[in-house]
Amino acid sequence: MRPSIMLVDDDRDFLEMNRGILEAQGFRVDCFTDADQAWERMKGRVPDLVITDLMMKSLDSGFSLARKIKSDPRYTDVPVIIVTAITSKLHFDFNPQSREELEVMGCQAYFDKPVSPDLLIAKVKELLS
Amino acid sequence: MNGEELRILVVDDEYGIREGCRKILTEEGFHVTTAVDGIEALEVFGRANQYSAALVDLMMPRLGGLELIGRLKEIDPDLLLIIITAYATIDTAVEGTKRGAYSYIPKPFTPDELMLTIRNGLERQALALEAKRLREERERRLLEVASERSRCGTILRCITDGLLVINQEKLVVLRNNAAARILPKASKLDVPFPLATLEDPKIEQVIDEIFEEDPGPRIVSRELDIGKSTFMLNISPVIEPNGETSGAVAVFRDITALKKLETAKSMFVSMVAHELKSPLAATEGWLNLLLSGLVKDDPKEARHVIERSYIRVNTLRNLVSELLSITAIETGNFQLHRSSVDVSAIARQAVEAAGEKAGSKAIDLALNNLSLDKAITALADEEALLLIFSNLIDNAVKYTPDGGTVTVRVAQNGMYVSVAVEDTGMGIKAEEMEKIFDEFYRIKSEDTVDIPGTGLGLSLVKRLVDLHQGQIEAESTAGAGSVFTVKIPLS
Repeated sequence: MRPSIMLVDDDRDFLEMNRGILEAQGFRVDCFTDADQAWERMKGRVPDLVITDLMMKSLDSGFSLARKIKSDPRYTDVPVIIVTAITSKLHFDFNPQSREELEVMGCQAYFDKPVSPDLLIAKVKELLS
Repeated sequence: MNGEELRILVVDDEYGIREGCRKILTEEGFHVTTAVDGIEALEVFGRANQYSAALVDLMMPRLGGLELIGRLKEIDPDLLLIIITAYATIDTAVEGTKRGAYSYIPKPFTPDELMLTIRNGLERQALALEAKRLREERERRLLEVASERSRCGTILRCITDGLLVINQEKLVVLRNNAAARILPKASKLDVPFPLATLEDPKIEQVIDEIFEEDPGPRIVSRELDIGKSTFMLNISPVIEPNGETSGAVAVFRDITALKKLETAKSMFVSMVAHELKSPLAATEGWLNLLLSGLVKDDPKEARHVIERSYIRVNTLRNLVSELLSITAIETGNFQLHRSSVDVSAIARQAVEAAGEKAGSKAIDLALNNLSLDKAITALADEEALLLIFSNLIDNAVKYTPDGGTVTVRVAQNGMYVSVAVEDTGMGIKAEEMEKIFDEFYRIKSEDTVDIPGTGLGLSLVKRLVDLHQGQIEAESTAGAGSVFTVKIPLS
């Protein structure tokens, strides 16, 4: 069975381009524009990997989604990739790269938007292997 | 003393005495005026109250000498009064001096006798005047010192900055009312009290720094959080003439409002950065996709990617021009070019401009001019009005589902022209209503995710309406539609 990826972003362009990139690699992709809806879906069908934006309805929509996933024993093993346009240190004073920092964020990888297709594909494959 | 400047009044009903005195005194350099009795003397005295001395006869018709002496003393307490009388007795002399006369000369008298008495009298008068001047000066100075003290006290009481004066032993020896307000612990203590009782290590630390380092005219500044407020604490040493530091003056200035402004500014800058970055990142992402050859070899696919990029770049350009307009308004550099304009015509222009977009969504866009196409003239900036109306109509079209209705109503209401844009769109929830005019506020929901926008449109509209001394109101029912009404004062 093809691995399934959950894409969460309130920017339709990123959903569409990332879906294209990932589907071309043979993944099954489900798109969500809202973190709450994505969380609801988690309960029905657990994806193999989650890629989420940070700032959606509220400043930390993606952040709390990642933490909910990591603190729930059913989903704690699902890898999470955070992709965000937030660069300002005024909002979040980090650019987590070390394993510890990423763990605090509740994710296994953290990218600045836009992430290059090659980089995204490589990271997804690495986390799914 | 210099006789030339002194004026003497001679009052006697005897012509011989008057003229005799005039002759003697004039020769001595005095300026002499004469009067025949008390009544005339008072008249003369009242006309030019600049006499140093008066020679007064006791027995005169109409108003006698004794009474005249009393009246003259009342007018000028410093006047030198000398009695000249042919009927001198001890009794009358005593009575005269009681009423304020300096001395008396019995008639007849020699010129030397007269001059001796006058000179002695003037000398005493001069001494008395000098003593009086000194006394008055002293009193005035005392008053000044007293008022200086109360003035300093008043200034210290009224000053809005908190002020503590701390001596070398680290005792607070003075605190003003503001300091008592700022430092709750200080309000309960009477000066002097140890600085340590304030239990604020940061203040103590700065004071130690001031006392321990080489003395010099320097100011140490620290930011200090007390309760919910932020203060700038400026401490300067009190340096004695011998160079030693004898204490320090601490001033607490409330900078909470400045801090809030600074935070708001930083927030704004970071929001701008984020809003600029999102469309840029999306465009870059699409171009990345094209360049990496991941787009199918199909002109349709490529065109789609370019179209999406174009939309984002377009949003970015609008965002930048709206930002520039908002900044110009904020800094007061936005000039309204007011002229007499027809508001109905501008509204029609805005409706026509939105026609194509409305048509593509099958939205029924109509202009309803309640003034029956009569011109409604207002003194306004034509471009700004067009921007206001276009923004509201574009929003209505954007947030109304296909097949809906957008109606623009123009009406003249008293002193205002009102332009209302009503739609049958998704509406605005009550809790979001108060934020819709904020910069970068966009309603985020499943329904709005595909609607492009900068989040600056309504914020700019509100500022432009304000510049016209106008008003903008929004009413909405979630799920049913919204009405935005702009009122612009007529010329």
